Amino acid sequence: MSRLRPGETCRVDFSRPLEFSFLGREMTGYAGDTVASALYGAGVRIFGRSLKYHRPRGLYSMEGESANTFMSIDGVPNECAETTELRAGMAIEPQNVRGDPGRDRFGFLDAFDRLMPAGFYYHLFHRPYALWPLFQSGLRRMAGTGVLDPGAEYRNGVRTERYLNADVAVIGGGPAGMAAALAAGESGLRVCLFERRGRLGGQMTWRVRDFEGEPLYRRAGALAARVRAAENVNVFTRSPVTGVWGENLVTGFAVGTEDDPFRECHWECRATTVVVAAGCMDRPLVFNHNDRPGVMQVGTAWRLARTYGVRPGKSVAFSVADDLGLEAAIDLDDMGVRIRFIADARESGQQGPEVFDALCDRAIPFFPGCAVSRAVGRKRVRGCVLRSLKGGRSRRFRCDLLVANAGMQPRIGILATAKARLAYCTHTHGYQPTELPPGVFVAGSMTGLRDPRSIEASGRVAGYGVAEWCGGRLKSVAGARAPAREAEALPGPGAGCGIIHAPAIGRGAKAFVDLDEDGTYKNVKESIARGLDVPELAKRFAGFGLGPGQYRVAGQNLAMIMADLRGDPVETAHPTTVRPPLGAPSLATLAGPGHDVHKRTPLHSELAGRGAVFRRAGAWQRARHFGDDPSCRDEIRNVRTNVGVLDSSPLGKFRIHGPDALNALQRVYMSDMSKARPGRCKYSAMCNDMGQLMDDGVVVAEGPGDYYFTTSSARAGDTVEWFRFHTRHDDWDYNLVNLTDVLGSLNIAGPNARRVLERLTRDNVSNQAFPYLACRRITVGDGVEARCLRLGFVGELSFELHAPASYVPYLWDLVMEAGADFGIRPFGLEAQNCLRAEKGHVIIGMESEQRVTLTDIGMGWMWDREDTVSKKVGAPALRACDRQPGRLNLVGLRVEEGAKAPRDGTLVVDGDKIVGYVCTTRSSDTLGWQYGLALVHREHAFPGRRIHLCHEEAPGQRVTSTAFVMSPHFYDPRGERLRS
Amino acid sequence: MSWLRPRRLWRPAPLERHYEFVIIGGGIHGLATAYYLARTHGIESVAVLESHYIGFGGSGRNTAIVRANQRTVENVRLYEEGLKLWPVLTDELDFNLMFFNCGTLNLGHSEAAMNGIRMLASTHNLVGVKSEVLDPQQCAEVIPGLDLSDRPAFPIHGGLYHPPGGIVRHDAVVWGLAKGASARGVHIHQGCEVQGIDTSDGRVTGVRTSLGSIGCDRLGIMAGGYGSAVAAMLGIELPIHPLTIQAMVTHPFKPFLHTAFSSGAYHVYANQTLKGEIATGAHMDPQVNYTNDATAYYLKHQAEALVELMPALRGVRFMRIWSGLADMTPDMAPIMEGELGYEGLYLDAGWGYFGFKSGPVAGKYMAQYMASGERPEILAPFRLGRFLENRYSGETAAVMKYGHWD
Repeated sequence: MSRLRPGETCRVDFSRPLEFSFLGREMTGYAGDTVASALYGAGVRIFGRSLKYHRPRGLYSMEGESANTFMSIDGVPNECAETTELRAGMAIEPQNVRGDPGRDRFGFLDAFDRLMPAGFYYHLFHRPYALWPLFQSGLRRMAGTGVLDPGAEYRNGVRTERYLNADVAVIGGGPAGMAAALAAGESGLRVCLFERRGRLGGQMTWRVRDFEGEPLYRRAGALAARVRAAENVNVFTRSPVTGVWGENLVTGFAVGTEDDPFRECHWECRATTVVVAAGCMDRPLVFNHNDRPGVMQVGTAWRLARTYGVRPGKSVAFSVADDLGLEAAIDLDDMGVRIRFIADARESGQQGPEVFDALCDRAIPFFPGCAVSRAVGRKRVRGCVLRSLKGGRSRRFRCDLLVANAGMQPRIGILATAKARLAYCTHTHGYQPTELPPGVFVAGSMTGLRDPRSIEASGRVAGYGVAEWCGGRLKSVAGARAPAREAEALPGPGAGCGIIHAPAIGRGAKAFVDLDEDGTYKNVKESIARGLDVPELAKRFAGFGLGPGQYRVAGQNLAMIMADLRGDPVETAHPTTVRPPLGAPSLATLAGPGHDVHKRTPLHSELAGRGAVFRRAGAWQRARHFGDDPSCRDEIRNVRTNVGVLDSSPLGKFRIHGPDALNALQRVYMSDMSKARPGRCKYSAMCNDMGQLMDDGVVVAEGPGDYYFTTSSARAGDTVEWFRFHTRHDDWDYNLVNLTDVLGSLNIAGPNARRVLERLTRDNVSNQAFPYLACRRITVGDGVEARCLRLGFVGELSFELHAPASYVPYLWDLVMEAGADFGIRPFGLEAQNCLRAEKGHVIIGMESEQRVTLTDIGMGWMWDREDTVSKKVGAPALRACDRQPGRLNLVGLRVEEGAKAPRDGTLVVDGDKIVGYVCTTRSSDTLGWQYGLALVHREHAFPGRRIHLCHEEAPGQRVTSTAFVMSPHFYDPRGERLRS
Repeated sequence: MSWLRPRRLWRPAPLERHYEFVIIGGGIHGLATAYYLARTHGIESVAVLESHYIGFGGSGRNTAIVRANQRTVENVRLYEEGLKLWPVLTDELDFNLMFFNCGTLNLGHSEAAMNGIRMLASTHNLVGVKSEVLDPQQCAEVIPGLDLSDRPAFPIHGGLYHPPGGIVRHDAVVWGLAKGASARGVHIHQGCEVQGIDTSDGRVTGVRTSLGSIGCDRLGIMAGGYGSAVAAMLGIELPIHPLTIQAMVTHPFKPFLHTAFSSGAYHVYANQTLKGEIATGAHMDPQVNYTNDATAYYLKHQAEALVELMPALRGVRFMRIWSGLADMTPDMAPIMEGELGYEGLYLDAGWGYFGFKSGPVAGKYMAQYMASGERPEILAPFRLGRFLENRYSGETAAVMKYGHWD
């Protein structure tokens, strides 16, 4: 098919043909084409089939306003042909159809529409209920459009992220947006200008009308050149905005260029102010068979010709409702496209006599006060019926293209996401903002302006308004008044057309209010008849605006039609809520390059070198075990009988100092912290207001009002805020410093721990000089000073060295070297878990949960009950439920021999009643039997009680066992090994 | 052929000066309670007051997943009965609620998570609700395309498969219940905002609304995310934090996801609706608020999570994001209470993000409670008093924190 040569407005490079295929057929497009323009240019008219009735659908819109041209492109489903640029070699397939969309086997459904009124499925298929799953699976298969292969890989191009910051984000690169950007930039503001299309200029880029001595596209081009050259203005083209969120956060994405099509960038721009100059789009005219291939929007036909050099049709009928539509028709005529007639829904109000003269010159029949009421032809338009809006006889015309709209409507999406208040304006007949959020400005044709000078002036007004709003930095605020005066002298918003729908609507034909969901005028009536009589309910009931085009086709029309049908004035119409994201970003682009944010300990590479298997533990990557035995038997045995070393660096480490440091400690810890002494570890725990265990660790006094303390790894990040929150009313003077990442730590544990340590230091670490729970500063190796804490979490003699993170690898080397003779080996989290469980030491979150308090899990001994002045967090709750029956308690279990082994998470049952569960259970080489830590109801929580365990991980696969309740301190209950 | 004769699903009714029973909140809970008051207890004077349109709140904003795989037996029993009600109600209301019994799969991403999952499965099977612990390969059989490799930040360790679960068309439940309630004489008043509650001698006597005062003998507060705000009109402070929770849908696809799945580690749950969109929900916003605002953060967060779990989802696009309110209690279990210090006052609140799946069954028992004045046995675990006794329900193991520390 021949292409037009439209001259300078054309963005297609006819010297660069691109081969592609549609349904396996080879076709040719050109560089600069979209997939849609290339297909249309190659003669494709039926692009797909509609969702419900499987009606043939063609090219209707140009910016993805409808899903008519959603296709599978190179195997990626649901790609919008209108906004996807053509590349050589693309393989394009239609969707929701088998084979050629011209011959669809479900096309017969169109004839059965009477059986499928709005929401018909709510009234069908459920009786008898047994048949419902059958219908349901049929419905599922009929619904949906694109085919996604869950095993396939999609969009594996480069993904990047940008986080921008601007004084003003201008949305829309048309004349108003450009003028706003220039004005704001001249005022010294940092401007980001976002434009969805590949070039600046908006609708001016395809308008050739002479204005003040030059064609509009040149005027726009000149403005664009100034914007490109402006110092403070950053221009982002190919960058659809997805929404304006709270505090003027503007988000969007940049699509790839022709050279690098797969590179997409997610961006977010934190802007002080936002200028919305999003322009207008066609308001669809609702008439009978308005979805036929060959019915298209004014902008679509015009841009096909002017931007892409594609002849939209041979014989074209126009039914429009504003001056832009007339201009488009005249322009197409000038390009050699035959215009059959122009109908204008307005009786009067058209631009001055030059339009009429132009129509007369070209001998184009003109019908004011008329609109097309019906498209003729099934698979493509072959003619149309024209009617006066006042009734009367109809006239039939032959045509192969029907360009129709009900005038223009503002693109309200961005304003709506910015939470501007919008109301129907009876002058422009579009939704206009009545209240803008702080820092949000609006400009351009979306306010109803039509005159190019007014549009640009409104941009300048917005640009200077922004500068004034930003305050201070503006050199001449007074200068900002001038554009406002200038704008006032220019023509204001033009009168719009309030046509609600074409005459003679319905009458056995379908008139579509929404294309994507096949929502017809009749469906609106049916919704109202069901009582779903506002747009929000009709949307949910009949799907208006729920398809990929969202609000763009149905939004304003649905509100107007519903108001009309209910007999309400049209200005009471409220459109459905516009939801972001507006530009449908792909998950690949939103997800970005995929950072795995985690922390590594200072010993990560040392551990890796020894075969560590890492697992994520909170923010950290930690060694779970070493080698290939997940049960860690050798690691455990080595600690029990010899000596092992654990990288405990993620342990929370803090210093608190100041006159009120002790007060703060008394507030959050349950013990009497005044007993924390220099050189000695005081073990205690924190609770929340409900008395639930939050954290445990040791506190060491290091000087007057100066303490060092540890928390569990998981709590390290929350501890500072926890202290601050719980002392917020006290005006206390203390400093709290999180040293967790600054200090690394390693724990040498086992009967030979002291012998290893003695080789590292000249300090006296004998049992007398350095007893259990002592804390000393010792010098290790070549003068590294480390805190050394003698603790016993794993139940053995153990020393924990805390030193600056950068020295810890050195300490590790020393320890491994010194321990080599003893056969020292590292142990990981799982070994530690087993070792501490044998000892009956609790891990928060494993043996504690929401239902249990500090006292419930046997740690009540640390609570200083006498303290009534510190207002300890959790003390009132602990007091209130101290002896409450029916609570869960922590107990030890000895599983009976021969029984099938329980697992972590196995239930404790009494008959068919669940009375608790096993938190941690292992078969212990050390003990020679299977032990468990369990939370069970108090009534069962006494030593010697025989309890029943049960797990059923799949229906019918019940495993039961029995166990005896005992103290959880299975190993070394008197703590002799700790103190040895 | 009833589907061909569009008749009003519910009738407009005159606002009377007095009703025996007034329900505040025209969501699933309020409508279900009204429906069962009329249907089971034969009460003829019932009004439902809705400040916007019915189903405006959480009822129309959730991701429609229904299941009975909770952590404690008390909850499992309630939700199991709730699951069994969908087919029954579909028939009773003569309205297809589109229950899609697709099952649910909760993924576990750590050994600790798998321990929790084992406990859940045992609990469910012990009370006769089907659940099964799956290994990663089995998970991928249920949800083809899951990434089982070590590449994700949280690799998949296994999952809890729960065949009785599924999805229901949430709006249909609202409309179906409205239809059934209206047919049995319940008055549904939309655009009727409650502005105050009248009491006299320790009794509830009526409500003041934007449409005028309405007297009543018994009053049910079933206002979803706004429940604690309504209770506050009587000075009743509830341990509820209203938080926004966001959900979004992708473009529609032919069916490829045949089971609803969720992942705690990634804070994501997803299902494919009957229309073919992937509907997916996120974690709650941390700040207490009533805004119903969506945020850019969750759009991105959700994409990051979904493409890690299932790389093929890189090929889909988000079409729409919205949010609703979740009325969170500290133990993630609801409050159903008739002893609030005022005779005739009943409360059904604190459902968090479980309000949809529980709607009909909660309504059934709240109706029984309100009609008889006697607390049904099955509601005993959901007393308000449990918080005063510091006796949490155990519905969640983790210690919750919403917004600030408590």
